[in-house]
Amino acid sequence: MIQSQLFYNLKKDKGSYISFGIVILITAIMLNLALVLVFQVDRAYDNKFEALDTATINVCIPQIQDTDTLKDDIKALESVSEVECREAVFLEAVVKDFRGTDFSMNTVFYNKDESRDMNKLDIKEESAESTKESIYLPLYVASFGEFGLDDEIIYEIGDKKHTFLVSGVLEEMQYGNYGKGLMGAYLPKSVYEEFASEYEEHMVTEYSIIANDNTEINALNNEISSLLEEKSITMLTSCDKASTKDTRTMVCNLLILVLLAFALVILLVSVFLCKFRISNSIEEDMVNMGVLKALGYTGNMIIGSVVLPYLMVTLVASLFGVIASYGILPSLSELLTLQAGFSFRLLFDIKGFICVETILVFIVTVFTYTAAKRIRKLQPINAIRGNSEGKAIKKNYFPLEETHGNTKLLLVLKQMFSNGKQNALLFGVSFVLTILIAFASTLFYNVIVEPNNFISTLSEEMPEIVIYPKEQHEATIVSDLQSNSDIKTVLKYTMGTVNIDDVPVTVFACEDFSKVSNDLCYLGENPDEKNEIALGSSFEGKYKLGEQIEIQNGDISCSYEITGFVQSVNYQGNVCELSMEGYAALNSESIVPSLYVYLQDGTDVESLIADIEEQHGDMISNQVNYQKMTETTQEMYAGITSIIVIVIFVLTILIALFVLYIVIKTLLVQRKQELGIYKAIGYSNWQLMVQVMGSFLPSSALAVLLSSGLGLVYVPQMNQFIFQTIGAMKNNMEVSFTFLMIFALIQIVVNFIISISLTKPIKKISAYALIKED
Amino acid sequence: MAVEKEILISAKNLKKEFRMGDTSQMIFENLSLDIYKGDFTVIMGASGAGKSTLMYSLSGMDRPTEGSIIFSDKEITKYNDDKLAIFRRESCGFVFQQIYLLEKMSLMDNVLTAGALGKNNKKEVIQRAKELFELVNIPAVTQKKFSTQVSGGEAQRAGIVRAIINNPEVVFADEPTGALNSNNSEAVLNVFTKIHNEGQSIIMVTHDKKTALRGNRILYIKDGQIFGDCSLENYKEANKEREQKLDEFLAEMGW
Repeated sequence: MIQSQLFYNLKKDKGSYISFGIVILITAIMLNLALVLVFQVDRAYDNKFEALDTATINVCIPQIQDTDTLKDDIKALESVSEVECREAVFLEAVVKDFRGTDFSMNTVFYNKDESRDMNKLDIKEESAESTKESIYLPLYVASFGEFGLDDEIIYEIGDKKHTFLVSGVLEEMQYGNYGKGLMGAYLPKSVYEEFASEYEEHMVTEYSIIANDNTEINALNNEISSLLEEKSITMLTSCDKASTKDTRTMVCNLLILVLLAFALVILLVSVFLCKFRISNSIEEDMVNMGVLKALGYTGNMIIGSVVLPYLMVTLVASLFGVIASYGILPSLSELLTLQAGFSFRLLFDIKGFICVETILVFIVTVFTYTAAKRIRKLQPINAIRGNSEGKAIKKNYFPLEETHGNTKLLLVLKQMFSNGKQNALLFGVSFVLTILIAFASTLFYNVIVEPNNFISTLSEEMPEIVIYPKEQHEATIVSDLQSNSDIKTVLKYTMGTVNIDDVPVTVFACEDFSKVSNDLCYLGENPDEKNEIALGSSFEGKYKLGEQIEIQNGDISCSYEITGFVQSVNYQGNVCELSMEGYAALNSESIVPSLYVYLQDGTDVESLIADIEEQHGDMISNQVNYQKMTETTQEMYAGITSIIVIVIFVLTILIALFVLYIVIKTLLVQRKQELGIYKAIGYSNWQLMVQVMGSFLPSSALAVLLSSGLGLVYVPQMNQFIFQTIGAMKNNMEVSFTFLMIFALIQIVVNFIISISLTKPIKKISAYALIKED
Repeated sequence: MAVEKEILISAKNLKKEFRMGDTSQMIFENLSLDIYKGDFTVIMGASGAGKSTLMYSLSGMDRPTEGSIIFSDKEITKYNDDKLAIFRRESCGFVFQQIYLLEKMSLMDNVLTAGALGKNNKKEVIQRAKELFELVNIPAVTQKKFSTQVSGGEAQRAGIVRAIINNPEVVFADEPTGALNSNNSEAVLNVFTKIHNEGQSIIMVTHDKKTALRGNRILYIKDGQIFGDCSLENYKEANKEREQKLDEFLAEMGW
């Protein structure tokens, strides 16, 4: 018999159940996406890593420093299980037309045809015929750089350009993505031999090392560093499993965080909604419940008929949500592949499905049962008479006789104050939803309106042009550039590699850090004097400000005082900053720094580059349009951000729509008779719509404005948390109050429009019918 | 020589039919009648005869299926919902059997809520409300109570104050004493008599003979038509002859 009551409840309030179901469906989609990523990406990464027999650590040393015994020495280390070595060419190369710009990368060129027991290559695509200039690109370079099979790719090394034809795309698990600043390139044997013969001084030996089980990567790193230091061998590069994985899965982890946060917020909204709806339906169905109790139904049976529809809806909606999420997963994995540099297929995950169903059903059960349990205490006769404690009127808010002001406005205020619970719910929901909007609007502002804020957080220094002068002409070019009225500043800036604690670390050296456009220092100060250094964030726990630190570059070693800590998302904080003199002290030969050129506002970069080429073409090795490179990066982020902002906005509006639907519907049902009375005494439809909207929109609007205003406080905290997760200790994201308010006003207007359309049914009912249908 | 009365409402060929799916129920058809200004018109009839339906059609609260209603020279059957709302607020006052006061408001606020729609300013409305409360014997302290905190009679008298706060042309009352005990009924009816004596036009639906005696014109509805029309004008209030006249009329109607 209770089944019929259950279906009666479902049928009677189907609009509310549908709204609730859609909110649960959205929650299930997000939750399942996050869980599938959690359960599968990590495993897919490890499987691929193992399938290709990838080494735990790969280190490159100059070939001339290699010894016959080194392999055995490494193998003899306690933590080492297996070692393999091979030769390669390591140098800094600029990849031309990499996604429309020139991209500077430290690249290791390998002989693709050499047999490998470790770091195997999984060729995904291959041309039918290989040519003399063939190259095989890692998936990341091919897909992100937009190089297809048989496309040309140009590597510019020093003055020389090498043009290759892309003959294959392969997957490797040795390197990270461009965030690590180090990539591989794979040449067929004959091409490699010709290439290597040109760059003998850049020949390296790569040692690929597989650690014993249960060995800590840091411990292994330290053992290898100590060994090489002992033998006075320079470690040029080091790539370990953990940091590579962190880099490749960074976006995926961020996405999981965002999806989980969203799912949590939406779930919170949905459970409060069902709690609200149940409380109200108890009031509406009080008499029915009294009759059922009088007939002998127990409290639990009636509670069941109230709770079960929500559980049924949750089960069905979450099932559809899980199914729908599998429609989104292929595009998501494609997007993540671009960043992760390895392809993976996300399959149906039974664990994810069970978790989604269990979490949602459990939470909905707890909330619905808590809301419905007061049914047990209802005395049948009181219920039949429609008496409920909830119905007791406690206060006459704004008595019209005594309160000054317009009576119609006072009536709205009366409604607002006498619907406290409903307004509290709307206030809470609007406040939480606005947090999402505030976060999205800030992201939008910093990526689309002020893109430098976002890019500078993720990048290092950002000039408009980088010029690589020939050594003997450096002074002339600097002097000429400084006299050019379109140029604001010319800074000598260079990047290199030094060793800190025997680990290779990228160094940024600049003649004057006070003139840089992107101050990376988040603690202390940039180095100014020859003997000063600022360390990357990865060293923060190990060293303190004011301490001395020993830095090596080959055979040269110098001591520096730590003046500050700097961040670098791309190198996971494994960087340092030195003054130009400080860096020169570590080099036996003179340094030829790059010239970072900063332009006056409105200067056309392309034409200036053309002018420089025309006037100083023979004095420079190369120049890079860095602004274009920044724009390319910004375009990529702008695309993703726009999608995120649109998704957040659509979701927020959708949820606001469902919340308002349930609240307004409840309100119209509860106040049907009251509205009839108002109509009978002459209130027009519009007056009543305004009165109904006035009873809840102000609380929602207030929450939106308050939450937006408080965004000035919490959005920086959110940004801080998110960016710290990816290694940016200091972010340059600005929170624009104007933007927060613009989005808040849009949200309020949207809520108003939704409310108008939802309160329209008031028009369709005649005053007479309202009164007659008690 | 009898003074010719001014017609306040003129209904022509009214038809009201309720449809529920494939079935329909005819309440009245080809019904025509005039209501005169200053009259206390009582509509009587058996249960389900369509008394309330007729009254709510005349008041613009409900729409007839066919026919026209001219109310003070305005054809309200052509009005849209908003125009009807304005018409009701300017011309009509309603008193219901179930009283229908707004539960979350005091008696005074109920009256002022209706008063806010009138043409007077707030001060004048409050002053008039106080006078009317005095007229219906509701003291200031009771005016501040919620409808759930007062007796049915007091609530209904407050309902009458709400109905007449904006000086309507007609007060429509649907079984106003139907839910009250005899003492409260008497008090409420006295208020109706009092305001009628001051010139207020009233149309009241009742099936109670005692209540009907307060009117000066009795319409009897039967088989979807005005079956009988009886004037009590020549009989004084509480006069035995008046009661007898009504008894005879009702007997004739088959009551």
